[in-house]
Amino acid sequence: MSAPVLDIANLSLTIGNTPILRDIDLTVKAGEVVGLVGESGSGKSMTAQAVMRLLPHAARPAGRIGFNGEDLLTASEERMCELRGDDIGMVFQEPMTALNPVKTIGEQVAEGIRFHRRVSRAEAEARARDMLERVGLPHSRFPLSRYPHELSGGQRQRVVIAIACALHPKLLIADEPTTALDVVLQKQILDLLRSLVEENGMGLVLISHDLGVVADMADRITILRHGAVQEAGETATVLREQKHPYTKRLAEASVHVPAWANAQTAPDGDNRLLELEDVARHFPGHRTGFFSRGEPVRAVDGVSFSIRSGHSVALVGQSGCGKSTLARMILALDRPTSGAIRFDGMETSSLDEHALRPARREMQVVFQDPYGSFNPRQKVLSSVAEPLHLMDERMGRSEKRDRVTEALVEVGMQSSDMDKYPHEFSGGQRQRLAIARAIITRPKLVVADEPVSALDVSIRAQILDLFAKLNDDLGLAFLFITHDLTVARAITHDVLVMDHGKIVETGRTGDVLDRPASEVTQRLIAAAPDLKRAIERRSKKIT
Amino acid sequence: MANGGIEGELVATEHEDWRRFIRKALANRSFLAGAVITLFVIAVALVSAIWTPYDVTKLVIADRLQGLSSTHLLGTDHFGRDILSMIMVGSRNSIAVALIAVGIGIAVGVPLGTYAAAKRGVVDEVLMRASDIVFAFPALLSAVMITAIFGPGAINAIIAIGIFNIPVFARVARGGALALWPREFILAARASGKRAGLITVQHIVPNIANLLLVQGTIQFSLGILAEAGLSYVGLGTQPPAPSWGRMLFEAQTMMTIAPHMAIVPGFAIIITVLGLNLLGDGLRDVLDPRLRRQR
Amino acid sequence: MLSYALRRILIVLITLLAASVIVFAVLEIVPGDPARLMLGMNATEDAIAALRQQMGLDQPLIPRYFTWIGGLLTGDFGRSYTYSVPVIDLVRDRLVVSLPLALMALFLSTAIALPVGIFSAARRGTAADTGVMAATQLGIAIPNFWFALLLVYVFAVALRWVPAGGFPGWDAGLWTALSALLLPAIALALPQAAILARVTRSALLDVMSEDYIRTARAKGLPANAVLWRHALRNALIPVLTILGLQFSFLLAGTIIIENVFYLPGLGRLVFQAITQRDLIVVESVVVLLVATVVIVNFLVDLAYAWADPRLRRR
Repeated sequence: MSAPVLDIANLSLTIGNTPILRDIDLTVKAGEVVGLVGESGSGKSMTAQAVMRLLPHAARPAGRIGFNGEDLLTASEERMCELRGDDIGMVFQEPMTALNPVKTIGEQVAEGIRFHRRVSRAEAEARARDMLERVGLPHSRFPLSRYPHELSGGQRQRVVIAIACALHPKLLIADEPTTALDVVLQKQILDLLRSLVEENGMGLVLISHDLGVVADMADRITILRHGAVQEAGETATVLREQKHPYTKRLAEASVHVPAWANAQTAPDGDNRLLELEDVARHFPGHRTGFFSRGEPVRAVDGVSFSIRSGHSVALVGQSGCGKSTLARMILALDRPTSGAIRFDGMETSSLDEHALRPARREMQVVFQDPYGSFNPRQKVLSSVAEPLHLMDERMGRSEKRDRVTEALVEVGMQSSDMDKYPHEFSGGQRQRLAIARAIITRPKLVVADEPVSALDVSIRAQILDLFAKLNDDLGLAFLFITHDLTVARAITHDVLVMDHGKIVETGRTGDVLDRPASEVTQRLIAAAPDLKRAIERRSKKIT
Repeated sequence: MANGGIEGELVATEHEDWRRFIRKALANRSFLAGAVITLFVIAVALVSAIWTPYDVTKLVIADRLQGLSSTHLLGTDHFGRDILSMIMVGSRNSIAVALIAVGIGIAVGVPLGTYAAAKRGVVDEVLMRASDIVFAFPALLSAVMITAIFGPGAINAIIAIGIFNIPVFARVARGGALALWPREFILAARASGKRAGLITVQHIVPNIANLLLVQGTIQFSLGILAEAGLSYVGLGTQPPAPSWGRMLFEAQTMMTIAPHMAIVPGFAIIITVLGLNLLGDGLRDVLDPRLRRQR
Repeated sequence: MLSYALRRILIVLITLLAASVIVFAVLEIVPGDPARLMLGMNATEDAIAALRQQMGLDQPLIPRYFTWIGGLLTGDFGRSYTYSVPVIDLVRDRLVVSLPLALMALFLSTAIALPVGIFSAARRGTAADTGVMAATQLGIAIPNFWFALLLVYVFAVALRWVPAGGFPGWDAGLWTALSALLLPAIALALPQAAILARVTRSALLDVMSEDYIRTARAKGLPANAVLWRHALRNALIPVLTILGLQFSFLLAGTIIIENVFYLPGLGRLVFQAITQRDLIVVESVVVLLVATVVIVNFLVDLAYAWADPRLRRR
C-alpha cells in the first residue's frame, strides 16, 4: 500500500472560544475517493478549508494535516501558494458565484497554469483549451473568450473543475459540488469527477450532505457530526452494517417514507379542484438590437392537467423546465400569456385581485427556503396570521391568537412560539411555521415549492411526515414542485413530469417511477442518487 | 444550502432585540464615539435655546477681537460678541436646517422609491429618469440659484437642500425594496391577498429602515456642510442670527489678526459632521453587517 | 454594446431637454418681472421696457423657449446684461480658469485616493489601515472652503509660498498660473479624495469576500496578486460611480472655492450673475454646467460597460 496523499491527524479548530472541529482524522490515498458526510454545522466545509489553509481570519487550527509527508498547518504561505492549484485543487458548492464575472473563462483557466508553470500566454491558453475540452466544454461551442454569465450553472461548474484540475493535482477537494444543481446535472458532474480520478490517479475528498451521492462515489466514508468523526471506514461496510447509531439514523432518514394512511386509498370521485387548460407563459427574449428582441422564451408552453380534491400531486423536472413559473401562475402571482386556470369553480387566471380573495383563501403556499419565508422583523403571530387577511369578517385579537394556536399545534409547534421572532427557530421549525401559515385558512390546496430540499435529511423526514399527516387529517390537496424523485415517491399519489415547458408524462406515482415511458423521466430516474441501490452495487463489487 | 445552519445564524442578526442592539452598539467604537459627539452637539443646541453665556445680539465693541480667555472661553469677534455663545446658537440653526432637509428627503423620497419598486415598468423608469435629471444639477449650484431667486434665508436653504435629498432617499428606498420584492415572505404576503401598498407598509419599510437610517445620518452631515456653504456665501441664514458659515465668512477678512474667529467655527462644523459620519458608520455595522454589501 | 450606447445617448438627450425646460421654467416663475428684478427698484419704466424687449419677454413663453434653445445650440448664449458682452465670450474667458482647476482637483483626488484605498484594503485591520481610515473620516468632515481659508493662511499669508488669491492669467507663464490654481485645487480635492479612498477600500473589501476570490486563491495566487488581478476591476464600478458624482461636486465646489481665492472662473461668474440678477448669464451657464455633468455621467456609463462585460449585452 502506498503512503496516503492526505493524512489528517488530530485536527482541531476553534473560532474565538467556540470549538468547531475536534480531533479529526482522515486519510486519502492516490486514486481513492473519500466521502465526508455530515449535516449542516458538522464542520465538513471547515475541514476542507483547513486543508487549503483558506480559513476565516479568526480560525485557530491545531494538529497535523500531512500532504505527501509535509505538514500543511506549519507550511509557509509561499509554500501553500505553490501547492494550491498545482498539487491541491478545490471545487466549490455555488457555481453561479465561483467565477470572476469580468474575466473570460479562458483567462481564468489559463491563469493558474501560467502562474505555476511560467509558460507563455499562448501555451497556457492551448492547455486551457484542452482542459475545457476534457471537462465537456468543446472549443467550437465554448471558446476561451466566453464570459461566465454566458454559461449555465452546470457549465460554470465544469469551468471550476477545469481550473481545479488543469495541472493534474494529486488531491482534489470537492465541497458540495453538486448541491446547487439538479439531479441530471449532478450525475454528469459526478461522472466527470470520477473519470478525472481514474485518469489522473488523484485523491478526491467529496464533501456532501447526501448519503446517496457519497455511497455512489466514495470508496471510504467518514461521518462527521458537531465537528467530530462519528464513524469511518469502507463505504459498503459502514452503510450496510450501520453499526454506529448516528449512521443508522442518517441512513434511515435518507430513505424515509412516511406512514401515510391515504397513500393507497386516495379519495375517489371526479371532483376537479384545480384545472389547467393549455396554459402558456412567454417571456420577452433578450434584446438583440436597439429595437429588436430575440425569440420570446416559452417558459411554460401549453400545459393542461387537473388535480382532484384531497390528492397529492408531484410536478417534477430539471431546473429551468418551467415548473416554478407554472406554480406562480397557479398561485395567481403571475398571469398566463394564454390558456385558462380554474380553481374551485373560479377562473383565477382572469380575476382581479379583489375577486381572487375567495380563491386565495382556499389555496396557500410553502416555499423552499425556510429562512426567506418570514419577515425577520415580525413576530411569528403576525406572519402565521397573515392569510387571515383573506377572511371576510375582521377578526379580534383573541380569535386571531386562537386560530394561530390551532395551526401551530397542528404542525407540532407550541402556542407560546407565536410571540417569538423567526430567527429564534431552526430551519426545520421554520418550515413547520411556514406550513402553519399555509393551513391557517383551512385551504383546499397547498402548493409546496421544493419544501424539503434546503433541509438536512433528518429534518426532511419529519417534514415529510407532517405533510402526510395533514393530508390524512385535513384532506388537503398538495402540489409538490420538486426535482427530487424520493419526495415524489414518498408523499404523492400522482406525478407530472415536465420538460422544456411541457408536460411529458403523467400517471400514478408508483407506475411512472417504476416503468417510466418518456426519455425525460428515464433520465431523471437514472440520475437520482439511490442509497439502497448504491450500497447493493458496492457490496457486490467487494465480494 | 447544506450550510443552512450557519447561514441561518447570519440571517438571525437581521432582527435585533433591543438589548442585543445595545450590547453590540456599545462594543462598536465608531458608534460609541459618533453617538457621544452627536448627543453632545444636540445637547448644546438645546441648551442654547434657554441659556447662552452672553447675548449674541449685543455688540460690545470694547471687547472686540479678544482671544481665548476665562471670561470669553472661545474669544470674541470683531463686534465683541462672544464666540462660544454664537457657536451654541449656530448649532441650533445648522441642526434644524439639516434635519428638516433630511425630513423632506425621507417624506417625499421614500414613498416615491417604494412606489417605483412596487410598480416597476414605466412608472419606475420615469421616476428614475426624473431623479437622474435632479442629479444632473450640481447640488450646491442649484441651491445657490434657488436661494438667490427666491431670496436668501434659512427656509429657502432648507428647501434647496431638501430637494436634493429627495432622489437620494428615493434611490436607496427603491434599491432596498427591489431586493425585497422577490423574497419569499413577500410572495407569501401576496398569496395572502395583500396589495402592494399594504405589503410596502408592513414588510418593505420595516426591512429598509436600517438603510434609510444610515443614509439619513449621511445626508444629515452633508446638510450641515451645505448649510455652512450657503451661509458662507451669504445665501443661508441671515444676520443677525448667527450661523457657522456666516461666522467663517466674517472671519475671512480677520484671518491675520484673529485666526481664532475662523478656527473655532471650522472645528464646530468638523466635530459635528465627524460625529454624524461616525454614528452612521457605526449604525451600519451594528444594525446589519451585510448592509455594506448591498449595492 | 452599440445598442447600449445608443440607448444611453437617448437618455442623455432626454435628460438635457428636461433640464433645460426646468431651468427655463424656474427663471420664468421668478417672483415678479425678470426685467424689473434685474434692473432693481430704481429703474425707469423705459429701461425696463427696453430690457424686456432685449430679453424677448414680450414674446409668448413657448417660442421664447425655442429661441433660447436654438441660440444655445448654435453658440449664441445671449448678451450679458451686467457685462454688456456676449455670454459665450464670458464663458470662454472663465472656462480657461475653471476647467484646469476642476481637472487638477479631479486628478489630485484620484491620484491620492486610489493608492490610499488599495493600501488600506490590502492591510485591513492593521494600525496603518485604522490610521488612514481615521484620517479620511476627518477629511470628509472638513468643509472645503474652511480648508481653503486655512491653506491661504498657512501657505500664502504665513509662509508666502504662493499668492493668496487672484489669477495672473496663462500669459504670465505656465508655472505662475498653475501655482495660483494649486491651493484651490488642493482645497477642492482633499475632502473628495477622503470620500473616494473610503469607497475604494470598502468596494475592494466587498469584492474580496466574493466566492470567485476564493476560487482565485485556490488556484494558488497569493493574496496580493488576487487583489490586483481579480478584485480591482470588480471594485471599479462603485469607484467609477463616485468619480462621476464627484465631478458634479467639484463643479459646484468651484462656486465657493473661486470666491475664497478670488479666481475669475465659471463658478464665480455664476455666483456674481446670480447675486446681480443677470438671469441671461445664469440661464445659459447653468444649462452648460448641467450638460457637462450629464456628458461626464454618460462617459462613466460607457466605462461601466468596459469594466463589466455583463452590461454589454443589455
